Amino acid sequence: MKTFLAILYHGSRLALAAIFCYAGSVKALDVVAFAGSVANYQLLPYQLNFLVAATLPYVELAAGLLLLFGRQVRPATLLVAGMNGVFILALLSVILRGLDIDCGCFRPGGEGHTSAQMALLRDVGIMLLAALTWFGHGRRNS
Amino acid sequence: MSDVLNGLRRDLLRALLIALLAALVGLAVNSRLLWRALSGRSLSSGSVAVSEPADMVLPLPVELDEVRELQGTSTLLIDARSREAFAEGHLPGARSLPRGEVTSELPSLQAEVPLDIPLIVYCSGYDCNDSFVLAEQLIAAGYRQVRIFEGGLPEWQAAGLPLEGGQP
Repeated sequence: MKTFLAILYHGSRLALAAIFCYAGSVKALDVVAFAGSVANYQLLPYQLNFLVAATLPYVELAAGLLLLFGRQVRPATLLVAGMNGVFILALLSVILRGLDIDCGCFRPGGEGHTSAQMALLRDVGIMLLAALTWFGHGRRNS
Repeated sequence: MSDVLNGLRRDLLRALLIALLAALVGLAVNSRLLWRALSGRSLSSGSVAVSEPADMVLPLPVELDEVRELQGTSTLLIDARSREAFAEGHLPGARSLPRGEVTSELPSLQAEVPLDIPLIVYCSGYDCNDSFVLAEQLIAAGYRQVRIFEGGLPEWQAAGLPLEGGQP
């Protein structure tokens, strides 16, 4: 049982790390395209889209790297859960407003088109991974 | 219970600190782009003396509100992006004139669009230089009222305004 819980914890932590390292790096490499993706949500004034696009990928990368190396796991998990919560709210607003946009979650301005519904489902899964990491880390350190 | 709350508060503070440091790195790495994007509006307050000769005239910026007001007037919007990007969606009424094709396309533009028609050139926002270069070429070709919509397609989209062409 103990081994199973350890595998579950490390699996969740590394999966979150991989997701956020990947998402952060592809966005950081094409900030302008990501700014376009943020603009598609029509939630922020034009210039603020650039501010979000310039900073968010680095926050994602930082959280992903900390999770990867097992450092500051709980703060990094909180960060991931917080960002994911904001993404979920943004996606819900997209669905409610009936916008047909690519979520811009991984490949800003790319060829792939991930609907808000699919992205929302994925974010719920990420939230579950964050919960497993949070409680798994708490159990190991209690 | 208070230990749990204290632990949570400490983790939350650390998370905020990590986010702040990471955001600062992002701001530093993208400082040039951000400066251009955030100072874009202030460029519009600049002016060029009307007495300057044609080859000294620089294209002036135009803001989103004015672009919207000029829709449906004689002003012609010029899309400096690639044909492919234009086909995927462009500002309503815009004409495609990719920067790289200006030499071959200019004669047909001059044949169809008189030199006194006001032109507004745009591309993919503040990080895109094509509109500025194309606007200079259009001025050199004789067009006297050429302006640049620096926010371009991203600002138009961010305002929730409809595009023409592309997917419905």
